[in-house]
This record gives sequence, C-alpha cells and structure tokens, in this order.
Amino acid sequence: MRDVVAEPDRVDRSGSAARPQRRRLDVLPYVLVAPVAIFIIGLAIVPALFTIIESFFTVNELDPPTRFSGLSNFVELFHNHAVTNSAANTAFYVVVGVALSTVLGIAMAVLLQRPFRGRGLVIAILILPWALPGVVEGILWSGIFDPNAGLINNLIATLHFGAGNGVLLGQNRLLTVGLIELVQVWQMTPLSTLLIFAALQLIPEELYEAATVDGANGWRRFLSITLPLARPGIAVAMVQALIATLNIFDQPYVLNGAASTGSSVTMETYFVSFQNLNFGQGYALSLVVALVTVALSLLVVRFIYRRVEL
Amino acid sequence: MRDRRHHPLRAVGIVLVILWSIVPIYWAAKSSLQTESAARARPAQYVPLHPTLANFRTLLLGSGNVATGIRHSLLNIVIECAAATAVTVALAALAAYAFARFHFKGHNVLFFTVLATMAFPPYTTLIPLYRIMSAFNLVNTYTGIVLVYVSGFLPLAVWVLHNYFSSIPASIEEAGLIDGASRLQVFWHLVLPLATPGVISIALITFLFGWAQFLFPLVLSTDLSTQPLTVLIAALQGRHIVPSTLMSAAGILAIAVPAAIALLFNRYIVNGLLAGSTK
Repeated sequence: MRDVVAEPDRVDRSGSAARPQRRRLDVLPYVLVAPVAIFIIGLAIVPALFTIIESFFTVNELDPPTRFSGLSNFVELFHNHAVTNSAANTAFYVVVGVALSTVLGIAMAVLLQRPFRGRGLVIAILILPWALPGVVEGILWSGIFDPNAGLINNLIATLHFGAGNGVLLGQNRLLTVGLIELVQVWQMTPLSTLLIFAALQLIPEELYEAATVDGANGWRRFLSITLPLARPGIAVAMVQALIATLNIFDQPYVLNGAASTGSSVTMETYFVSFQNLNFGQGYALSLVVALVTVALSLLVVRFIYRRVEL
Repeated sequence: MRDRRHHPLRAVGIVLVILWSIVPIYWAAKSSLQTESAARARPAQYVPLHPTLANFRTLLLGSGNVATGIRHSLLNIVIECAAATAVTVALAALAAYAFARFHFKGHNVLFFTVLATMAFPPYTTLIPLYRIMSAFNLVNTYTGIVLVYVSGFLPLAVWVLHNYFSSIPASIEEAGLIDGASRLQVFWHLVLPLATPGVISIALITFLFGWAQFLFPLVLSTDLSTQPLTVLIAALQGRHIVPSTLMSAAGILAIAVPAAIALLFNRYIVNGLLAGSTK
C-alpha cells in the first residue's frame, strides 16, 4: 500500500508538466486541502483536546463555575456504582462480541472462499445487517425476543420445549447482555467476514494443491494455510469489532433501556453528561474508553497481525 | 478440480448464513403486515395468514402524532444524509486529489492528521461537539448535524478517494496538462471520471453511515424539527405506547432505504469497504 501512495509523488517530481508549477509556491493544493483541514482541526482535533484537558476540570452545569479539580473526575468514576457496573457489562460485550464476530467471520469467509454460482448474491444478502442502523436492529430483534409475539418464544411453544412466554431481556443479567451482544454481533459480522474474505482471496490455490498432495486433510489445510495467511484480515476485523463493542450504545439503549442489567460505558457517559449535566465526569469516562480502545487495538495488532509475504 | 473441493456441508452453511442474515428482517416484515392480535396469536403464524397494509397506511397517510412524527423524521434523515454525503464527497475529493498528486509543505503532517482521527473511538468527541454546537446555537439545526457528520465521515472518504486517485496513472494527467488544460480541468474532466467507481462507493458508504447515526443526533437534535427517524423510533420504542406491529412497520420503513442500497449496490459498497480497510 505504501508504494501505491508514493508512486504518483515520484512521477510528479520527474514529470515535466508538473515542474513549472513547483518553482513558485503553488497555492492550489492548499486551497484544495483547506476545507478538510478546517473540518478536521475544528471538529475533531480541537474537541479531542477539549476532552483530554477538561477531564481534569469540574465542568458541571449544576455546579458552576468550571474549575481545575485534578484527578477527582477519574476517582469519582471508580466510586460510581453505575459506572463500574456498566464497565463489567462492557467487558462482557467486548469479549463475547470480538470472539463471536471473529469466529463467525472466519467461518463465513471460508464458506465463500471459492467461487460458486450465486456467490455475489450471497455476499449482497450477507452485508445487509451491516448496512442497517443499530437502533433499528434493536427494534427488529426486540420482535425476536418478545415474550408474546417473539420468534424465539413462539418456536419454543411450537416445538413443545416449553410454554413459550419466557421473558428473555432484563430477566437475568447474563442472558440480557448475551442477547444484546448477539444483536451487535449480527451487525458486525458482515464486515469481519468481508475483511477476512479479502485476505483469503490472496492465498494462491497452489498452496492448497501442494498440501493436498502431501496428504493434508481439510482441517489440517485450514490450520496451516488458511488461518495463518488470513491473519492480517483477522486482525483488522478484530480491531473493528473491538472499537464497536467497547463503544456499544444503540443496542442496549433500545433493547433494555437505562436498566443496569445491560447498560454500557458509553450509555453511562451519556447519562452522566446529558442527564446529570456533569460534563467533567463524562469527559473523564470518554477519555478512559478512548485510551482502553487504543491500547487494546495496539495489542491486537501486535499479537494477531502478521505481514504476509507471498 | 475446483468442484471436487466443494464440501457437502458447504451448501448447509450457506443456507444458514442467508437465514442468519434475513430472519430478523423477515420477522419484522411479517409482523408489520399483521394486526396486533394476529401477531400475538398462538399457535404462531410464521407467515401472515391475512396480510394487511393497515400499519403502513397508518404511518404514511395517518394524521396522528406518531404518523406525522415518523413522516417528518423520515424527511429529516433523508435531508441530513443527502447533505452530509454531498459535502463529504465534494470536500474529500478535492483534498484527496491534492494529497495524491501534489507535493506541498505540510503534506505528510496534514495527511497523517486527517487519517489519525479515524483511530479516535467514535464518541470521544461527543460532549465537546455538543458544547461547540450549543455555543454556536447549532443544536436542533440541520447545519449542526451535517457539520458533525461531515467531520466524522471525511477521514475515511479522503483515504478511499486518495487510493483511487493514486491508482490512476499520472501520465494521463500529464497529457492533459501538455494540451493546455489547467490542473482543475484535468481533475474534473480526466481524473474524476476515471475515479467514478470510487466516488460512488464512498458516497454510498457515507450515506449509510449517516443513516445509521444515533447517539450524535440524540444529543444534537432534541425536537422533531431535525430529529432523524432513528432517534424518533427509539423514543417511541422506549415509551411502550405504540403497538408492536406498528413499530415493526416503522422499523421496516427505517431500513427500506439502506437495505435497498446494500442489495442493489453491494459491489460498490464491498469494494469501498475493502479499499478503506487495507492500511
């Protein structure tokens, strides 16, 4: 990829047509880049600095003025039961979500690895859940989980496994977070599948043929060819799943409301900031989430990603 | 040779993948075509025995608060997504071209800065963006929402378009420049047409991202004047006042546009996603 980026520059430098423009200061590129630069600096870099700096301040609409308060926002977070509870839920979302979306992504990518008639159509259907808003997916799945009209309870009744009126969401914490995360996995898996699928497309068929000649069975070929060579795709898929799960908001908010059985850290950030109007603590919490996200992403890249040379 | 490799279990797996992807959508679609009592009937109707469009008629033609709210927020989400997509693609195309083709002081620093913001977790800037928009009286305005969307969607768009522009041979442009065209004419008449698939990809992906937004508009638009459909639907769901079959119909309305885009233009979307992720 880096070479592709460098190529046009090299051509540009030697290209006779571009040379006259480079003698004086060429303002054109600055004009072209300026709008994006203004957006990114004004609405991404500056706000991010706000978050970092103001997390060390008391910023509370109900308790003005804004004043420096050191680490007290961070200390308070650890004593806020709702926050620590949501951190435990979020840890569950992350572990289950990353594991499940990665495993399903690998399985689906392997299913699609070799061309077959209708593969394009299957891929079109496969990416559907990725394209839909998380909130509306919450609405769709609440129809699956509903005690009366839901698909799961109806299947239980039809198959005579039970009365089929069990309350699935909010009844107990493990079931609740599990079902909420299932909805998010439904949304994330298409992208994981595509990323891993793209990595699999680069594996030369001859490798499999040689392994078959050497007597390796399907499972053996999967373990020693497919899996190692898919690692770049798997790492990128895991990072995107990690970011999505650590920042989960839409699914628990819609499926389970503000209830503590499913609330995530991002939900608590929202409640602390926009209901309690304690922005300082909200800043601290979003900063912690950001740092954990970056740290875990780097870990995944460090241990899973391997540059593949073919 | 190839066909011999097809494992018999593969067909089963592919059927499962299709079911997994469409059953939740099917169930909502089924429910949206039923009356509330039919949806709750036992034994369950796995297909609607007496399908009715009454729920959709209520939402699209009815005069109640829920129906007018849904229609207004549907209009809002279309306006916000279309505006955010147009601005994002236009600005990103100009910048991406500059990053791909020009040498200028600060090139690398700027390019890296733009891309680095992609690594920010999405909600790091939620509170400051709200406070900035609030300071400029842009809460509950289309402008406020579109500004925030564009700032979030630009980095990926710049990256994807940069890669498309870089893959176009510079010799084509040099020929244009020798013929006396200006750099902007070359960009408009030679480069952009060649990069059209990339532009379409990123436009569709940006539009879908916009349609999926929830927490930002939840904070930035507190009333119906600008609330997108996603925010209104979540509010209706939370209040438990709307019959579940009507909610299903609202959900189907909310996914109709993104689902159609995903099914019809999946090639562009898949290519764009893969172009954006191979760093």
